[in-house]
Amino acid sequence: MSTSTAMLLPEEAELARLIVETLNMDIPAETIDPKIPLYGTGLGLDSIDMLEIALVVSQRYGVKLQADDENNTQIFSSLRSLSRFIQDSRSS
Amino acid sequence: MKGDAQIQEWTTRAERGSLPLIRACVWLALRLGRSTVRIFLYPICLYFLLSSPASTAASRSYLSRVLGRPARWTDIFRHFLTFASCLLDRVFLLNDQGYWFDITVHGEQLLQGIEASGQGCMLFGAHFGSFEVARAVGRQRSDLPISLLMYEENAQKIRAAMAAINPRLATEVIGLGRLDSLIAVAGRLQHGHFIGVLADRNVDGRDLVRYPFLGREASFPKGPFRVAMLLQRPVVMMVCIYRGGHAYEVFFEQIAPATSGRPAHPEAWISDVMQRYVSRLEDFCREAPFNWFNFYDFWS
Repeated sequence: MSTSTAMLLPEEAELARLIVETLNMDIPAETIDPKIPLYGTGLGLDSIDMLEIALVVSQRYGVKLQADDENNTQIFSSLRSLSRFIQDSRSS
Repeated sequence: MKGDAQIQEWTTRAERGSLPLIRACVWLALRLGRSTVRIFLYPICLYFLLSSPASTAASRSYLSRVLGRPARWTDIFRHFLTFASCLLDRVFLLNDQGYWFDITVHGEQLLQGIEASGQGCMLFGAHFGSFEVARAVGRQRSDLPISLLMYEENAQKIRAAMAAINPRLATEVIGLGRLDSLIAVAGRLQHGHFIGVLADRNVDGRDLVRYPFLGREASFPKGPFRVAMLLQRPVVMMVCIYRGGHAYEVFFEQIAPATSGRPAHPEAWISDVMQRYVSRLEDFCREAPFNWFNFYDFWS
């Protein structure tokens, strides 16, 4: 895990805070490296955590996530890709 | 988990075996018919009784606990025979030979209600009795699809074994080993599917809680209950007891209604629901002791 704080875009920082709060994680949101995998070896989240993230993201941002979307693996791969997906969905 | 090698010792041998061997047994069973092929179960169980000390010890310790007296060899043999019978009957069930069985269903209305709501739910089972008979009840109604949710490693084994038993029958097994496993579960539930999950056993040792179970504390996984809470679905217990002979009895029971929104105290909700699940499981064990199919030290 990186300790650099300068790497997060504002919307990424907001999303990171939402994730940390939802999952009761005991790390500061700003320290999450936006490029490391959320699931498994990266941040160490499991599939239930990913479900929680999906639910809270769709609630907070009104983003429709498709359960059978083959892109889910890609969308949820890192904080950065999830954040980008949210921004794209909102602006379209 | 510590006893994991033991857990699988017998069940893998019996459930997975080698796939060609399973195919050969299935072929034989379907040709000879249930009554004839059942004769083979006696020497097979005797063989396991003599050759599998770990499973025998686990059975003895469980049975002594549930029966409230020292278990005898005949008890352990009966325990193995009940397990073997359920495994064998799975072959007939998966090959549309449900006519061998006399199946009583309790609580079907509960399922009908959930089905009518179009919301689907998770069905909480255990390594107890025949999960397959319970699923067959669902399958008879073609509009009630039941997928199974399990740990990835098991999922692969089960998929292979099911395919060996009946290649034409596509069993939907969702493995937990993917980032989007539970996002897929959420989608299925939205389409009104039922998702079966065996909630008595943990494999990865994460998120375990200990509850008194038959007089001593044992670990149970929180995960499945947390998923039901997050997805706001009722928690329904699904258990099928093998009563001997041709008789099976299926029970569907609501353990908890769907939550509306996130509970004020999520952990308390989960703990309360798990306690009810464990307590009902205990009741079922006392009622039909030989249907318990965890042949390892469950209390470790």
